[in-house]
Amino acid sequence: MNRRTVYLTAAAVLLAAGCTPGTKAPTAAATAPEPTGTVEFWHQFTDRESRAIAGIVKDFEAKYPKVTVHITDGQDDDKTLQAIGAGNGPDLAQSFSTDRVGKFCSSGAWVDLKSYVDRDKVDLSKIPPTVRSYTEFRGKRCSMPFLADAYGFYYNTTMLTEAGFAGPPKTLSELTAMTKALTKRRADGTIERAGFLPQFGFYEFSPAHLAPAAGAKWFTGEGRSAIGSDPAWKELMRWQKELVDWYGYKNLAKFTASLGDEWSADHAFHKGRVAMMVDGEWRVAFLRDQAKDVSFGTAPMPVVDAQASRYGAGYVTGNIIGVAKTARNPEAAWALIRYLTTDTAAVVKLANAIKNVPTTTDALAAATELKADPQFAVFLQIFDNPASTTMPASAVGTAVEETFSQFLAKWQSGAATNMDSGLADVDRQVDQMIQLAG
Amino acid sequence: MTAHGRTRALIFVAEHSLAIALSAMFLAPIVFLLLTSFMSNEQQLTADPWPRTWHPENYLDVFARTPMLSYTLNTVIYAVAATGLMLLASVPAAYALSKLKWRGRNAIFIAIICVMMLPPQVVTVPLYLMWASAGLTGSLWPLILPMLAGDAFSIFLLRQFLVTIPDDYVDAARVDGCGEWRTLLRVVVPIARPGIAAAAMFQFFYCWNDYYGPLLYTSENEKAWTLSLGLASFRSLHHVDWNLATAATMLTLIPVVVLFFFAQKAFVRGVTLTGVKG
Amino acid sequence: MSTVLRRRLTVLAFIGPALAGLVVFFVYPLLAAVYFSLHRVDLINPPEWVGLANWRFLFHDLNVRHAAGNTLWFVVVMVPARIVGAIATAMLLNRVKRGRTAYRTLFYLPALAPPVVATLAFVSLLKPGTGPVNTLLAKVGIEGPLWFNSPDWAKPALVLLALWGIGDLMIIFVAALLDVPVELYEAASLDGAGAWQRFRNVTLPSISPVVLFAAVTGVIATLQYFTQAAVAASVASGDAVTGGGISGTFGYPEGSTFTYPLWLYTVGFRNGLLGYSSVLAVVLFVVAIAVTLVLLRRFQAFAGSVR
Repeated sequence: MNRRTVYLTAAAVLLAAGCTPGTKAPTAAATAPEPTGTVEFWHQFTDRESRAIAGIVKDFEAKYPKVTVHITDGQDDDKTLQAIGAGNGPDLAQSFSTDRVGKFCSSGAWVDLKSYVDRDKVDLSKIPPTVRSYTEFRGKRCSMPFLADAYGFYYNTTMLTEAGFAGPPKTLSELTAMTKALTKRRADGTIERAGFLPQFGFYEFSPAHLAPAAGAKWFTGEGRSAIGSDPAWKELMRWQKELVDWYGYKNLAKFTASLGDEWSADHAFHKGRVAMMVDGEWRVAFLRDQAKDVSFGTAPMPVVDAQASRYGAGYVTGNIIGVAKTARNPEAAWALIRYLTTDTAAVVKLANAIKNVPTTTDALAAATELKADPQFAVFLQIFDNPASTTMPASAVGTAVEETFSQFLAKWQSGAATNMDSGLADVDRQVDQMIQLAG
Repeated sequence: MTAHGRTRALIFVAEHSLAIALSAMFLAPIVFLLLTSFMSNEQQLTADPWPRTWHPENYLDVFARTPMLSYTLNTVIYAVAATGLMLLASVPAAYALSKLKWRGRNAIFIAIICVMMLPPQVVTVPLYLMWASAGLTGSLWPLILPMLAGDAFSIFLLRQFLVTIPDDYVDAARVDGCGEWRTLLRVVVPIARPGIAAAAMFQFFYCWNDYYGPLLYTSENEKAWTLSLGLASFRSLHHVDWNLATAATMLTLIPVVVLFFFAQKAFVRGVTLTGVKG
Repeated sequence: MSTVLRRRLTVLAFIGPALAGLVVFFVYPLLAAVYFSLHRVDLINPPEWVGLANWRFLFHDLNVRHAAGNTLWFVVVMVPARIVGAIATAMLLNRVKRGRTAYRTLFYLPALAPPVVATLAFVSLLKPGTGPVNTLLAKVGIEGPLWFNSPDWAKPALVLLALWGIGDLMIIFVAALLDVPVELYEAASLDGAGAWQRFRNVTLPSISPVVLFAAVTGVIATLQYFTQAAVAASVASGDAVTGGGISGTFGYPEGSTFTYPLWLYTVGFRNGLLGYSSVLAVVLFVVAIAVTLVLLRRFQAFAGSVR
């Protein structure tokens, strides 16, 4: 290839690379105008949940007749980011992954909503502090919370009563004792029914969901990985390994491999193969739908013995929604966001329809239907509990938990035996990746 | 029966038994998909392999839930256009790489193979930016237009097939006064028919099942979605309707199976090579 | 017009479109990848120069060694397995006369199934405990392995999946075998050659360009092996594919299905480090060229004029 072609190609590359649209991020006008025009709304729900959202959006259009909202469902983060990067993204977008908040905020893909929040005097204190934390990053509020999930503890009341237990375990040592009592083994040593499954990565048992049990921290104050330095993690890991070894890892793996898919009607808890488990609030609806013969109770996660006062907290997460950098109608987009996230009636209606947790304290108070449901009400309380934690945002998204999970997989199987050096490696990997992300 | 005849019969039975056994193994997972497509929502993905209740209405549900006809039309357009353009550009290119002598031929050959070596995730980012600035995203054009340049995989495949055709054929045609185009069209293509058919089939079925291409370029515009994107729409955050997804998969599979069945005529043994000098 | 010029124009007409494609779909992305590898890229803001920072991480990254090892295992095992399997089934098909069309369709059928759905079907069939395969094996008295849930068996199970979908490669060999001149076989039989000798001395040399093709494309494709490993890990870990795509439990079980392209995708698109992802891509590209050149050199079908 001759030299001229090389230069031309290089020029094209540089042009294209620098050619990401340098549009200015929208900010709030001096006074709130009436929303008009069309708004392009991308969200990631499909099916029944998508229809529920469409219903709420119709309410918004009825309230502001000059606006038409055009919805595209079934989107995902990669598509949305790529579209925004190429300049033809939506006005507002929703995301399932709170761990992408770091990326959305730091890159400016979702705009800083501060000017809108201040102008319209949105009362952020009506949003629980944990929820506020997963919708902002390094002080930039680039998203609002859109429905939430809370994780708690499920237990089979029949099995517990049979074994002589009056209620669910409140501490980890109680959990261990009850697990041992509730587990049934066959003559050849294989598990027939497990009291509780301590296998990391199986169903919803993950480090993030376990963290509130000990108040384990992911990051130090300076934003570096705290997995190796926070003793809470080591305590949780030791507790988990002890229980895994009691089963025998190979037995445990064999057992979990034979269990049903998490989202099918063959779920181990539905089928009575496991007596207790950690799961999100949506499991209530699934159980009532698919396993009517299982009589279950819900409660907060058991906590480490030394911190018994933490009981009642849990892992909290949710969806987020924000205005894209490339929004053509940012004011109407913001109006829709405000409606979906702070209008009490709308939030309650949405929570009832999708059976998720409403994200404002007003909506929590007004959600009478959900509050009157004893099994579901537990999750509302967990959500409201100030000690509940969430996965903090980082500039590298899911890398933190994934790197930790990879070590945990080796740790629980016995392939890795040195906890300290393993965790130090995890810290180093995470810190280096955060540095690269800037 | 003679000893030889007995051996022949045994071989016949052995070959057919093997063929039948292999067919069963190849079919088993497809049968699983077929059975799942008739299952109720509760039974999907459970341990029962046979539907407890039969739900043929799943197939109708698929049409009710998603605009299957539109998806099918888009898929057909994509596959046919891409395959047609690919052949137009790739066959001459393969011919040039195998039957024509010119300086730099080997270098270009290796370069074309190299096109396949860049991982798609890395190629897509700069290409997507390029198509976006041309305003063509939200349509199938970014997937079809590149076929004007041929397809690296197909060029490589066709070139290898053409290499197996003895040069004597081509030389004979040239001596007879045929230009390169006529040599290609009248002499080489008929002999290379099985190879060309294989390449065409490859490209067609690749386009038919292509998920990442349409995902990247058409997801913002549902009117341009193809069947593979439609298949993915049976998922939501906490739930996957595998019974409907497998029903949709069956609907996607049947046209291509039928097409393949009839396209087999192209796999006829090539022209017998008799009477060719040296 | 002189003959030389006409000759040159003819060649240009034949190869021109492909050449244009080379520039747009190879040179441009490759240059872009190298460019991105020296920057911090997040797709929203203009790339930010970081020099060799991304490249330096390559030497400290714990995941890349592990991932590269897994991918190399697949290259060494899956590519030869598929080639041998494809040739064997193609030969079987060409020998069977009755019902050949039906068999051909049946053998090819799996290759038509979309990869995600096919992987799901396979994982469900090979489910330990309750899956049909292990239930059948139990009836014969064999305790089936944990397949996709065992770190030792997950990769072999994926090879089985690849062999199941062998129809696409097989059809190419069917075509190649049909192109072998019949008289060559007749001549060899007359010379007293047995079946194996006919295969070694007539069939194999005649189809060797196609074998080379299968080897090179097989290696390239396996170096990019991604979808099936990701889906199998998600489904087997009990975390079926929902919403956006891959669950966080990639590489399940215990990282045995963690391939290099999976890490490339994760670190770039899920963790937002596209600059480092480009480093991994450039390295993969270099490895692919190296392996291809070695293969091309060993197979004499390189020059085109030599068989």
